[in-house]
Amino acid sequence: MRVDVEDLVVTYGEVTALDRLSFSLEGGKIYGLLGRNGSGKTTLLSVLAAFRKESSGTVRIDGEPVFENEGLTSRVSLIRDAGETTDLGTAEDALYFAEWLRPHWDADYARSLMDLFGLTRKMSVKGMSKGMRSALGVVIGLAGRAPLTMFDESYLGMDPPARYAFYDALLADYMEHPRTIILSTHLIEEVSSLFEEVVIIGRGRLVVHEETQTLLSRGTAVTGPAERVDAFTDGLTVLGGTSLGSTKSAMVYGEIDEARRGRAAEAGLELGPIAMQDLFIHLTGDAR
Amino acid sequence: MRFPSRLLAANMAFALLLWAALVVLVAVVGAVIAINGSLTESAWEKAAQVPRWYALFVGVALVREYLPMYIAHGQTRRQFGAQGAVTVALFAPFLALLLVLGYLLETGIYALAGLEQALGQVHLFTDPGQLPVVFTEYLVEFLAWIVAGAFMGAGFYRWREGGVFTIPVGVGLVLLAESTVGPGLRLPFLLGRLGRLGLDLPKSPAVALAIGLAVLLAGLALTWSIIRDVPLRNRWS
Repeated sequence: MRVDVEDLVVTYGEVTALDRLSFSLEGGKIYGLLGRNGSGKTTLLSVLAAFRKESSGTVRIDGEPVFENEGLTSRVSLIRDAGETTDLGTAEDALYFAEWLRPHWDADYARSLMDLFGLTRKMSVKGMSKGMRSALGVVIGLAGRAPLTMFDESYLGMDPPARYAFYDALLADYMEHPRTIILSTHLIEEVSSLFEEVVIIGRGRLVVHEETQTLLSRGTAVTGPAERVDAFTDGLTVLGGTSLGSTKSAMVYGEIDEARRGRAAEAGLELGPIAMQDLFIHLTGDAR
Repeated sequence: MRFPSRLLAANMAFALLLWAALVVLVAVVGAVIAINGSLTESAWEKAAQVPRWYALFVGVALVREYLPMYIAHGQTRRQFGAQGAVTVALFAPFLALLLVLGYLLETGIYALAGLEQALGQVHLFTDPGQLPVVFTEYLVEFLAWIVAGAFMGAGFYRWREGGVFTIPVGVGLVLLAESTVGPGLRLPFLLGRLGRLGLDLPKSPAVALAIGLAVLLAGLALTWSIIRDVPLRNRWS
């Protein structure tokens, strides 16, 4: 589903959570939504899912406004750790209503996901660990098969094996049932390999919206003898670095043209990719 | 509009369990009192004051639990409003029916035990055997308590502590309905003199039904005015 956000503003009293935010997602991809705490990620997803109304600006999904638009909202799913879809008594109760209210619900798939995450239907949701509750949210989000499915850090409570099982299940189901998926997360390195595009927001404004590979190409790790690395990176934007003995590795932000690459090779320096998390820290570090 | 079958079924199943538990409790307490030789009135009549608090809870839960769930599952507030209204309109008579069944059960047990099923309070009915009137009284009562719960629950959900300002209106809805079937609020352990507050309204099933319907519609309209664009609560991040 296509998503168009234009001049979106959401305020909470005196606080502006989203400040004239604009971007478009063409849909049919897995998008990463990144931002520091308080950047407005949850608010943005809440508006996209019609959990709340925008203060001003427009949000359109497949060309139509989403708030109170039942033709659209039934095709949108947002799973948060607030537990709206899960905190109803037992896991069975949560599935009972999900099956009834979600038009694309796949009960067999839900059952297999329950098994995958070690959940049973008779479990009381209030008595579950945080990780189990997160896993139940993931089951409901995936088995709902909404054409626009969003997870707002709803899997952070899961332990690493469960999280990786979620990533695998998400990717497998996305390949089998292509749809638009937006993942909001702080676990950037764990999930970034899933992202086809990345949207980074800071202080309610758009910082970056790019394809993952394009974004990653903006950063380069320069490794070699310390004095040569320093000489090579002089005048460039250096995000940080590490040293081990006489060897140094510096993270550089910005494009490195062919001439510079040639000089690096002549100097015996290695150029490599840097982690998305390092780019994220650089891009959002001065956001407050 | 889709019929709220699962919303109703979930609430009815739970209500049935609570009703069964209440029946057992009243039977045990009644038996203990009867063994002491002092059971001179209907025990179910006393116990029947408890379910209205459950009705209030159902109204609160409707907005606090089910509205967020509906929206999170891609339903609109309008869809929830319609299904919630139908749920209230059908759940209240269901509860009233359970209360009538309680009186019927008690009538049979008292007859076997040779006890008199006398009433100790003012009602729309003068004898538990007047089943349609018994049903009407509790129907009006439950309609008012559920819808007042939904309205106040909506107020607290939307405005948190500011929801306290919806309480006088909620109490007013209940007071109006209760005054058509009895002396008024009948909250002996709560609110002091306010708990005995009542309006002098004519006591007839027709008047009670008319006012009960008016309270239902007013309560639903007031609740809708709060939830029609209510944001789901979230942590800002």
